[in-house]
Amino acid sequence: MPYNMFAEVENFGLSPLKLALSSVKELYAMPEEKLADLKLLLIKEAFGYHYENNKFYRNACIEKGISPDGIKTIEDLTKIPLVPIELYKSHDNHKLLSVGLNDIEHEMRSTGTSGIPSVSRRCSDTVDNAVLSVYSIYREFFKISKGAGLYLCPSTEEIPEMGMIKALNMLAGLLDTHRFMMRNESFVPEDMIEQLENWKNQFSRHIIGPPFLINRFIRYLKAANIKVKLDKSSYIITLGGWKRFSGDMLSRQEFNQECIEYLGVEKSQIRDIYGLVESNLMAIDDEHGEKHVSPYGHFSVRDPKQLDREVAVGETGQLAILDPLARSTPGFILTEDLVRLLPGESASGRSGQRMQYIMRLPESKEFGCCAVNLDKRLDDLELEASSGNCPIVA
Amino acid sequence: MYSALIVNHFIDPEFVGDIASPQIEFEIGNSVCGDRIRVQVNTVAGVVNDIAYRAWGCATSIATGDIFCESVKDASLSDLSARSDHEIEAMMGELEPSQHHCIHILNELHRTLITEAQAKGAL
Repeated sequence: MPYNMFAEVENFGLSPLKLALSSVKELYAMPEEKLADLKLLLIKEAFGYHYENNKFYRNACIEKGISPDGIKTIEDLTKIPLVPIELYKSHDNHKLLSVGLNDIEHEMRSTGTSGIPSVSRRCSDTVDNAVLSVYSIYREFFKISKGAGLYLCPSTEEIPEMGMIKALNMLAGLLDTHRFMMRNESFVPEDMIEQLENWKNQFSRHIIGPPFLINRFIRYLKAANIKVKLDKSSYIITLGGWKRFSGDMLSRQEFNQECIEYLGVEKSQIRDIYGLVESNLMAIDDEHGEKHVSPYGHFSVRDPKQLDREVAVGETGQLAILDPLARSTPGFILTEDLVRLLPGESASGRSGQRMQYIMRLPESKEFGCCAVNLDKRLDDLELEASSGNCPIVA
Repeated sequence: MYSALIVNHFIDPEFVGDIASPQIEFEIGNSVCGDRIRVQVNTVAGVVNDIAYRAWGCATSIATGDIFCESVKDASLSDLSARSDHEIEAMMGELEPSQHHCIHILNELHRTLITEAQAKGAL
């Protein structure tokens, strides 16, 4: 959207951001330069908004000698001060608010291995933006409007504030039916198989959840030598960390292979989502397994040793997210994730950034989301159950 | 969404901090996904004379830590052990349904303080 059109949209009393949120397909079809221009306008506006409304953030900007006037080109986005993600865990994280606490509509959290929750607060405007964004992106990449979802995670009723579950639960609104299979810390693979069988030939069956819990289901199928054949229109949709509580990484390649073998799907049906509770942007696998960044936001990959410097496309670095959807807190976040942006053109023909998740920063004390704790809890319960067994084997 | 009581105790808490060598120290919370509150207390002759807390979680639970400390400071442990569930609930004022879990947190803070005080011979 050229600058004059941006201004014209505002003159009509409309929001250029909300227009962008509902035009995902069109944005992915834009020439790269035009898309970059639009992102610059949206992010610059958001930067100006937080600069004006957030004393803590403005002081940080003044200290670094940057104001909204200093953002003129897409290259200038690296000058925008970043909020380290650990600040969301601090007990005085109210200083991150650009609105009053009474304007906060919703709190979401994620808890990793440290056990300290990262709490993200959203005002009504941010919730509007996030909802528009999540549904537009789900529609763009999944085209789902029917089917049945087997959720291998606890329900939002059990843990209503957990960001990962909330984001996955929004997908349920597009389905005909769904069922959460983890209740009160119980995980019964036999029930999952029975539910899939009950839905067979009635609905396209999707399996949705964090990688560890889907992997746990596959481990059962493998041990019992059961092979499920899902439908051609089925998806395996994952959101959450790939590192276990023990520190072991779950291999994406191995996970895909096991989904193909034990759930009877093709690689194009396995879709992972990268997202953080602190951000409203995500990166989501297309049918070729390439993760596309939400087109109205910007992923800036920094040199971990010199954080104001971007690494070249294709090189691994520390992810900074520039999220113009966030109105309650500055959406300019320095994550603890190592990623790389993919060079060249996308196989699906979409414009914009594509990324590959590499790993959590080795020095990070934190990894995973609540899924990593659920996985550990299930392991502990299994261990407790097996320790009561008679040790005599024959 | 938030009452003035919660806003004030969240934005401007009086008791956030640490005590160097506390007589009583405890933490409550949910190990998987929930809020965490750590409390440090010193007592003299069965009366709480110093208290500090740190909390991690939703705004209401952070405010709950401060409301607890404010109500406990200078109170006798025997009076606190007699505080009823109804009195504890009333301390939180008006809450939305999604904030009601903080009444449970406040109850647990009371119960744990008394249990820990007994274990340390302070009550």
